[in-house]
Amino acid sequence: MTTFKMNRRTALGMGVGAAALATGIGRARAQGKTLNVLAHRVHQASLTQGPAGDLTKAWRDANATEVNWATFDSNPLQDRLFREASLSSTDFGVGFLVNSRATRDAAKLMAPLDDFQRANPIEDFADIAPGLVAAMRFDGKLVSVPFRHATIGLFYNEALLEERGIKAPPQTLEELVDQAKRLTFTSAAGTPVTGMVLASDLSVFPVTFARAFGGDFISGDLKLVPDRGALEKGLATMQDLFKAGALPRTFATTTNDDQVTWIQQGRAAFTVLPFARFAQLNNPQQSKFPGKIKAIEFPISEALRGKVPFASVVEFWAMSILGNARDKDLAWNFIRTMSSKAVTTGAARNGNGPVRVSTYQDPGFAADQPLAAVESKALAGARVPLPAFPEAARAQTIFLEEVQLAVLGRKNPSEAVGAIIERVKPLLPA
Amino acid sequence: MRADRIGIVLGKTAAVAVILLWSLFPIAFMAMSSLKPAREIFAVPPTFVFAPTLEHYTALLVRWPDFFRGLWNSLIVTVGATVLTAIVATMAGYAYSRFRSPALTRSASFLVAVRLLPPIVLTLPLFPLINWLGLSDTHFTLIVLYATFFVSLGTLLMRAFIDKIPVELDEAALVDGAGRGTLIAKIIAPLALPGMLALSVFVIVFAWNEFLFAFVFTSTRAKTAPLIVSEMLGSFDGVDWGVLFAAATIQLLPILIFVCAMQRHLVAGLTSGATKG
Repeated sequence: MTTFKMNRRTALGMGVGAAALATGIGRARAQGKTLNVLAHRVHQASLTQGPAGDLTKAWRDANATEVNWATFDSNPLQDRLFREASLSSTDFGVGFLVNSRATRDAAKLMAPLDDFQRANPIEDFADIAPGLVAAMRFDGKLVSVPFRHATIGLFYNEALLEERGIKAPPQTLEELVDQAKRLTFTSAAGTPVTGMVLASDLSVFPVTFARAFGGDFISGDLKLVPDRGALEKGLATMQDLFKAGALPRTFATTTNDDQVTWIQQGRAAFTVLPFARFAQLNNPQQSKFPGKIKAIEFPISEALRGKVPFASVVEFWAMSILGNARDKDLAWNFIRTMSSKAVTTGAARNGNGPVRVSTYQDPGFAADQPLAAVESKALAGARVPLPAFPEAARAQTIFLEEVQLAVLGRKNPSEAVGAIIERVKPLLPA
Repeated sequence: MRADRIGIVLGKTAAVAVILLWSLFPIAFMAMSSLKPAREIFAVPPTFVFAPTLEHYTALLVRWPDFFRGLWNSLIVTVGATVLTAIVATMAGYAYSRFRSPALTRSASFLVAVRLLPPIVLTLPLFPLINWLGLSDTHFTLIVLYATFFVSLGTLLMRAFIDKIPVELDEAALVDGAGRGTLIAKIIAPLALPGMLALSVFVIVFAWNEFLFAFVFTSTRAKTAPLIVSEMLGSFDGVDWGVLFAAATIQLLPILIFVCAMQRHLVAGLTSGATKG
């Protein structure tokens, strides 16, 4: 009979051995020539899949380097990026940073890029939307290079408009409200249609309505509610739509994904989404109205039409080098190449929102993209929904709470705006 | 009287039907939606009769190949954590069952206390340590973490099972010259197998579905399937619900079959020690 003797020394030895083996394996894997990139899957897809093909291949071949994409959903991605960047060192070289999380504290975790840009510049850097680049400068230092934007527009179901005898989409906000009310009906197919569907958990929509009256929630220079009357009018308009049934009864629980499915199913006539959703909304496999979902720039109010440009809401992602990255030169080399004109246009053909003005002027690109002209125009005056600051998330939560109370009729718009000012003011940087 | 009994039976049947509907509807909706054409999934009014399609499963295979790598990783981690937990918990359960000392008593309290800590409290401080050790994004880390998380419960469970094994068997084996290792491996473990199976059910269900540890400690190589399902939900280009439901169905199916097959052991595990004394 063989006896297996497990004494303390054996157990300890086995434990140490297993840990050493695992450590060795972990380190050996990390030593291959690989650039680790922290990204959202949409970034990976736009650089590697689609009509323009794999845009990283030439770079990978030229540098004999593999790109290892670690992809996460948006907020987890930002959390992971900041957590990795706060270590003493990290295996990750490049990370994608979203504008709403690009605060001064976050910027300190990223490597300043100006020296890299001076030594080995990105092609025609001035061509990259200056407003987006400016949002990635902190204390004069560039910390991230814009890569992808999502600018919102007004989507409408042309078939439903025709069914109600509406010849053209709205040119002003007042027309939009009127049409949304008329489009709250039961369609010939028997589907109950709501004039407009908006998610209640995103600040993009109330900010868009406020901007249609020339207002805002927090301006780029951190002024809280720069035009109180405009924000009140924006909320009053949303409240009016809700009261008329032109926003869903379930507004308080409506999400971004509901907007997509409602439009695809013909359950809503209007919605506000990034232009990049155009292909999905018209996808014949998903939509009951392929080719009938169109988009325009969100209309401004009649009083401001032709007097001031409308500031569409834009969100964007940018590429950073983690401050503790081991091979920053390799990371910059990647960012530089992925920011070139050719790759930007290729990524746009793969479905990315291009940050270069010249991409929209590319005849080949414009011919393939029905919304290129309108998106380009909207992008020119676009601004982020609110600037990044440490308490931005809490400010946004408060804003949305008050907006919901106003839209649902639990508060009048004036009271809600008053509460927004009172509650958000202490959160703004001194 | 008879009317009363009929009423009670009808009431019980209705209650069971409601519970079944409540429990099974989400699963049925998910499985059905994975087989529906995309535009039918959220159709109003909903369609219950449709021509089933495998298009979402095909799309899943083409567009999310890493989901299947994630499933493989989930399998490795689940098997590893289960084996490790079963071994460690059996040895620890044996120690708690057969030996008495103040240190053991105190450590038993510690086992319970560990379970009270929210996982996030343990997770974040471990992140820099795991990274420093070069163990980030490895199966090993997840296996050890999952096992660690379940060893305390497993030990208590295995102790209850081993308590039922007569000490005389130990004594006889020791008199015959067996060491403690042989005793546990050849005598105790086979007799405590039902307990190990019950414990395995808990560990497998946990490890297969776990998100938080996998999210914090993996990025690509050891990324498990739940992380990829969560990414499908966060797509900027819109959620492809058909593909998501297909992935969720595939993710759910093995564990559903396993739990159904192991139901007997699960009940045994839950009631272990209940009739002792």
